[in-house]
Amino acid sequence: MSLITIKGVTKTYNPKKIPVHALRGIDLTIEEGEFTAIVGPSGSGKTTLLNIIGGLDRQTDGEVFVDGVNISDLSDNRLIDFRKKKIGFVFQSYNLIPVFTAAENIGFIMLLQNKSKDAIASRVSDLLKSVGIEEQRDKRPSQMSGGQQQRVAVARALASKPKFVLADEPTANLDSKSTADLLDIMENLNKNEGMTFVFSTHDQRVIDRAHRIVTIEDGKVIRDESVE
Amino acid sequence: MVLKIAWRNVWRNITRSLVVMGAIIIGIWSIIFLVGMVNGMIESYIDNAIKNEVSHIKIHHPEFIKDKESKYYITEIANVKAIIDTISGVKAVSYKTITNTMISSSHSGRGISTIGINSKDEIHVSGVSQHIVEGNYLTDTKKNQILISKRTAKKLKVKLRSKVVLTFQNLENEITMGAFRVVGLFETGNNIYDESVVFVRQNDINNLLGMNGYGHEVAILIDDLTELESVQKRIANLFPDLLVRNYKEVQPELGLFQSQIKMVGIIYMVIFMLALIFGIINTMMMAVLERVRELGMLMSVGMNKTKVFLMIVVETLLLAIIAAPIGLFLGYITTHYFHKTGINLFFYSEEGMKQFGFDKFIYPNVPTETFWQLVVAVSLTALLGSLYPAWKAIRLRPVEAIRGSFTSDKTRIFTRIINFINNKLLNRKLK
Repeated sequence: MSLITIKGVTKTYNPKKIPVHALRGIDLTIEEGEFTAIVGPSGSGKTTLLNIIGGLDRQTDGEVFVDGVNISDLSDNRLIDFRKKKIGFVFQSYNLIPVFTAAENIGFIMLLQNKSKDAIASRVSDLLKSVGIEEQRDKRPSQMSGGQQQRVAVARALASKPKFVLADEPTANLDSKSTADLLDIMENLNKNEGMTFVFSTHDQRVIDRAHRIVTIEDGKVIRDESVE
Repeated sequence: MVLKIAWRNVWRNITRSLVVMGAIIIGIWSIIFLVGMVNGMIESYIDNAIKNEVSHIKIHHPEFIKDKESKYYITEIANVKAIIDTISGVKAVSYKTITNTMISSSHSGRGISTIGINSKDEIHVSGVSQHIVEGNYLTDTKKNQILISKRTAKKLKVKLRSKVVLTFQNLENEITMGAFRVVGLFETGNNIYDESVVFVRQNDINNLLGMNGYGHEVAILIDDLTELESVQKRIANLFPDLLVRNYKEVQPELGLFQSQIKMVGIIYMVIFMLALIFGIINTMMMAVLERVRELGMLMSVGMNKTKVFLMIVVETLLLAIIAAPIGLFLGYITTHYFHKTGINLFFYSEEGMKQFGFDKFIYPNVPTETFWQLVVAVSLTALLGSLYPAWKAIRLRPVEAIRGSFTSDKTRIFTRIINFINNKLLNRKLK
């Protein structure tokens, strides 16, 4: 069974007045352990697709199965719970909680899952180590660089041991060095821990590292290629 | 976790939080002070009225209060006093003869109420002996002494040792008069009262009225005001033919004032809550709009709406929880200080305050329940004030909020109106 299965998904904004067709019938499957980049020009629909896979937005038509569950059938509350357990998110502008330290930001999702303090502390330490920001653990986002903040965001996404991580333009605000470091971290997590990553990006540096590239244009998949 | 985020958020924008907390502190302080002042003024007014005019309990012939004629007297009034003296809870008793009189000097005359008192007993019941500003209180040594107020003296153009003439009807309905020498001038601080009464020895006035051994009024002070009704009832049972009334029945406005103390406090609190609630809504809405992206992230990663809602509510409550004790403490120490030293209101308007029967010094006094009421009021205000911003927060759509965009209901309505105007009105014009 595939981790993510998308069948005939369409998304139309403002359907009653001036309809904007963001997705026009997407069929896609993503297996566990993939390192996939969804690419395309601005407005092609890649972020919309990512939002639908992540349960942040609902499709107009079609079905989305994540880990065997048709998320279109889930109520808003169950969808929130589903996201908390199954999906890790990395956002373009990091979106860390500014009043929390790096360690607290990472442990936050585990707190939402009512995990014990010891379990959180141990997991946070491991993650800080694996993304290479142990020294930043007690710093707040405003005291860290963009690259460090995005590493915290990756660690946060992984904290609850999700099935996969969705990263929307994760390198858009990073310099070359930070981008390379971040991609190294994510690639290692993919290789060593088998974590599935799905990116939306038009950053060539990310595309070059992806193992599978799905190209979208005008809301349709126009190319789907594996890279060895 | 919700508490942790809310607490950190309180200190995120210190200036904004301090402004809200400052508003709560000043609001609470001002309510305590205002309630204390009003309470102090009303208590002062009531105390003065009880001390100078009405006592705690008064006994009259039932007809006397309708028509203050001398014929409506209480017989063997000294015995009545002696019996009341034995009742537990009674602090002091005096009896008086009261008659409507014309007081005249060589310059002018005016209508006045003459009160014949037993000077020794009256010292324990009314405060007139403490308000002598010139001359002396009544003594037993000389006949026909009179105490008049300074204001009456001024109007009659008399001074100490001047003679005045009192004219009135005796029990036989004959006009009688007597010459009295001014031995003291008093000033109670209540101009209306001062201009309406003079005091003479009861024996002197009774001789002129021809009603020795009689009197019109028994005035009683009690030890504990909470026992007022029970003491009144005991006296009424002993003298079923007489009219026994407490001070609230004698001067209903005193009871009204007392009951209004609580109402005044509640009115102030409601005004304060209304002002504060808009301040809180405004501040918390700013906090929500400022954090749209963050709220979107929280909801995206799995924070449910209940927790988001609670986070905003708890943050607001924390502001109140921090500020309220400071406001309560400042209010307490301010009123406590002025309760000891008093506030000189005559500095502001001596004549005006005297006209209404207030003391020179007001001693603010805040009932304990006011503090509890404020705690409840502020908590309730913070809770109510947080509901709308919290509701706005949970109405955010994570997919929009995560990008920092927030389309409010108002914006949607506004856009619809603009579209309607464009589609209907402008298109029609073009046609």
